[in-house]
Amino acid sequence: MIATRSPIVRLGIRTATPLALMTAVFLFFAGHNRPGGGFAAGLLLGAVVSLRTVAGLQRPTNAARLLAIGVGIVSVVSLAPMVVGNVLLDQVIVKTSLPLLGTVKSGSAAVFDLGVTLIVVGLVVAVLEGLGATDLAQRPAETRPAGDTDANATPPSPTKAGPA
Amino acid sequence: MIWLLLALHVIAIPAIALITNRFGRIGLLVGAIPTTFAATWAGFRLGSPVDEVSVQWVSSLDLSFTFLVGPVGRLMTLLVGGIGALVFIYAYGYFSDASKNVGRFGATLMAFATSMLGLVWADSVWTLFIFWEFTSITSFLLVGFKNTDPGTRNAARRALVITVSGGLALLAGLVVLVDATGSARLSEMSTLINDGAVLSPTSASVAAALIILAAATKSAQFPFHVWLPGAMAAPTPVSAYLHSATMVKAGVLLMALTSPLLGDAAWWKPLGLSFGAASMIWGAIGALRHHDAKLILAWGTVSQLGLLISLLSLGTAKATFAAISILFAHAIFKAALFMVVGEIDVRTGTRNINELRGLARSMPLAFAVAVASGASMAGVPPLLGFTAKEAAVEAVLTLSGGERLLVGVIIIGGSVLTVAYTLRFLLTVFGPFGGRNDAANGPMTDTEVAASRWAMTLPSALLGVTSVAGFIFLGLANQIVRPAAIQLDAKAEVYELLRWPGLTLGLGVSAGIVAGGAVVGVWSARRSSTIPRALGAEAIDIGLDEIISQARQFTSRVQHGSLPVYLVTTATVAALATTPFLWSIDVDTLRWWDRPMQGFLAVAVVGTAITTLLVNSRLGAALALGSVGIAVTGLFVVHGAPDLVLTQLLVETVVVVGFVIGLGHLKREFPPVGQIWMTIRIVVSGLVGLGIAGALAATAAAPSGQPPTAELTEGAVTEGGGNNIVNVVLTDLRALDTVGEVVVLAVVAIGVLSLAKSSRSDSEDAEGVGGDLLEGDPA
Repeated sequence: MIATRSPIVRLGIRTATPLALMTAVFLFFAGHNRPGGGFAAGLLLGAVVSLRTVAGLQRPTNAARLLAIGVGIVSVVSLAPMVVGNVLLDQVIVKTSLPLLGTVKSGSAAVFDLGVTLIVVGLVVAVLEGLGATDLAQRPAETRPAGDTDANATPPSPTKAGPA
Repeated sequence: MIWLLLALHVIAIPAIALITNRFGRIGLLVGAIPTTFAATWAGFRLGSPVDEVSVQWVSSLDLSFTFLVGPVGRLMTLLVGGIGALVFIYAYGYFSDASKNVGRFGATLMAFATSMLGLVWADSVWTLFIFWEFTSITSFLLVGFKNTDPGTRNAARRALVITVSGGLALLAGLVVLVDATGSARLSEMSTLINDGAVLSPTSASVAAALIILAAATKSAQFPFHVWLPGAMAAPTPVSAYLHSATMVKAGVLLMALTSPLLGDAAWWKPLGLSFGAASMIWGAIGALRHHDAKLILAWGTVSQLGLLISLLSLGTAKATFAAISILFAHAIFKAALFMVVGEIDVRTGTRNINELRGLARSMPLAFAVAVASGASMAGVPPLLGFTAKEAAVEAVLTLSGGERLLVGVIIIGGSVLTVAYTLRFLLTVFGPFGGRNDAANGPMTDTEVAASRWAMTLPSALLGVTSVAGFIFLGLANQIVRPAAIQLDAKAEVYELLRWPGLTLGLGVSAGIVAGGAVVGVWSARRSSTIPRALGAEAIDIGLDEIISQARQFTSRVQHGSLPVYLVTTATVAALATTPFLWSIDVDTLRWWDRPMQGFLAVAVVGTAITTLLVNSRLGAALALGSVGIAVTGLFVVHGAPDLVLTQLLVETVVVVGFVIGLGHLKREFPPVGQIWMTIRIVVSGLVGLGIAGALAATAAAPSGQPPTAELTEGAVTEGGGNNIVNVVLTDLRALDTVGEVVVLAVVAIGVLSLAKSSRSDSEDAEGVGGDLLEGDPA
């Protein structure tokens, strides 16, 4: 892959990943009252996935599953109120107090947002797959020196890159 | 009960598939259960008041599923359910353990039976239309059952195109009817018409023409009959069920149900009679020319359906009564005959009358069934077909003047030919005249005929017995047929099926028909004819192939696959759409900036954009493009829109990293671009930029009403329970929009995945991952 030979890039991305994930979780929950939300969290996770792809690190590759779960969550949250007789997409707000976190207020909108997040991540993963990330990751770094301009030096291989 | 029966049928569809796939063809017998229930129910409800159920579907459009089962519905239910049950048993015998896809077959056949019941029970015309189309589709699937054979696929396609085109005519005709009468229910329409004619002569004629057209396609009337002989490519159980007893009767049923409304329309009689007469004669001639026993029966069906359509077009009570009687009798004897042919096919391996000979000895039971059913078809006593045919002859004789002569000649001529092809069929297959191609003489011996299968013999024997029993217990047949005829025409009350009409003119005519037919039949059985070419079917196939190849050429011209040209096309459209806005900008509202910082950022945006254009390396251009985005983020910051800032930054990050990955497949530098092509690109890009900037300026200059900020702020806190208005709008107040958007995202992602997959399989031996498409000039 593009930057697999650069230890600085690899180490940097590896170290940044947990921080980025925490930020994504923060953004997800902050969305209710401050900038952030499911879409932004999804994009940040997408950025993490993209960077890990560049560095040839482990990353999710099954876009179809992410999309399916995301669309499933969104549909269920949308339609569920109709089953109990409310209007489409009516939201339920729950307010409880939890240890450590204090009073937490959340609603079905958060679940809905989770679906949005998954779909956004799924889209990014799908685009990366579409751009041939798997093939690039598969290619040994030696056959692709910096000056090589021929993209088709090695035939694409159908085998999967790194575990999901 | 109606719902229960429909539910039983629907449940049986997957049940048959599951059981058959698990335990083999015995699963087909499951299909006999719901169909038997339906037929039994209809039998017990004979003479009872109508059964009616309705459920609202789309209340705002006043659409509902409405079923009303009256006498006609019960008659049809007896046929669809009764013959359906026998056909499922027959199919169990027809297939062997080695047959493939039997589960799929059984499920599709059950789906057809369900659609057919829905069709004959429908009272709302929209319900009728839906089930009408369902029967077309299931018929298509059943005809194309052996989908590995190109001939079969063509036949199925032909059947689908013709019957579905007729469906469109039906829809148009129904729209005219509903529009004119103000009711979508067939039962109410006739009452409304009786209360005071609201149907103008023009709309009645148009509706009549459209409905007869639909009936003619479904009931295989000349010249639309070409699909029916082709449909014989289907397994024989399908032919016995769909193409003799039930689906082809849908057109007849449609005419019968609309005859009280449209029978007086100016075009009803001439149009219906033309279709009917042409089909009756041409179908019978076809039956006399073909060598495939199944095709003989199929052409015979075209002829018989022509007789039915003719009788219904006449519009007299007697003719309607005769039509209903023949519809009933025909379903029984034709299904039996198809079953016999299928049995012959399975046991001897051929259906060609030039190879079959003297089967009377080795297949005595089939012979008996064929004789009884054939005689019923020819209208010979003592069989059900005889009394029905008598009614038809009487109906013709009660006409007067030129009509009597014209219709008389056609119907009598058609009947003579019917007797002839029946006799030809019996004499060649079972008698001494077949086997022209074979050196061997004498009847086929037991060694040439495989052992009988009870599941094939039993249903055909039952149907053969019914043809006889219908004559013996004529009272029962009358109980089924008479109320149905009365439902369509109250004046039919005076008629009934007669066992012995007495020495009337009608009987004399019938005797003449049989005698004449016998002469022609023996002559045609001895004569060796050449098989006619199916010119109509060939013409349709050529036409369809031509349409498909034209469509392919057109598509390849529009979808050329050059990404630069796609982009330029899209951009040109955008430019054309937005340019008009340039004239509606209110120059007075424009100002340089709200804050000086914006001016500085604008310079940064424009500067990075120009850099993007000048950079020669692809990676550099991608990074420059990212800088444009970041600079725009700055504008958002100045405007105080933190949500936009966050999203924009994240999008830019992901896009730039994506570019880095994608560019790995491409050459480092942009390819050279020709002078003219470059000019076009620059002009179009400039116009798009100008147009969109203009459109934005124009919209900002013309605000309408107050911005809904206050309303949204309040809504966000009270309804959404959050302080971030943007996000509450996204996930709660306007959540439906978000659902739409994320579904679009998901669809795009699936598109990307499948594109990547297909380009990867394309490039197994060819070049790259579609990289060439991004390069250079358009092809």
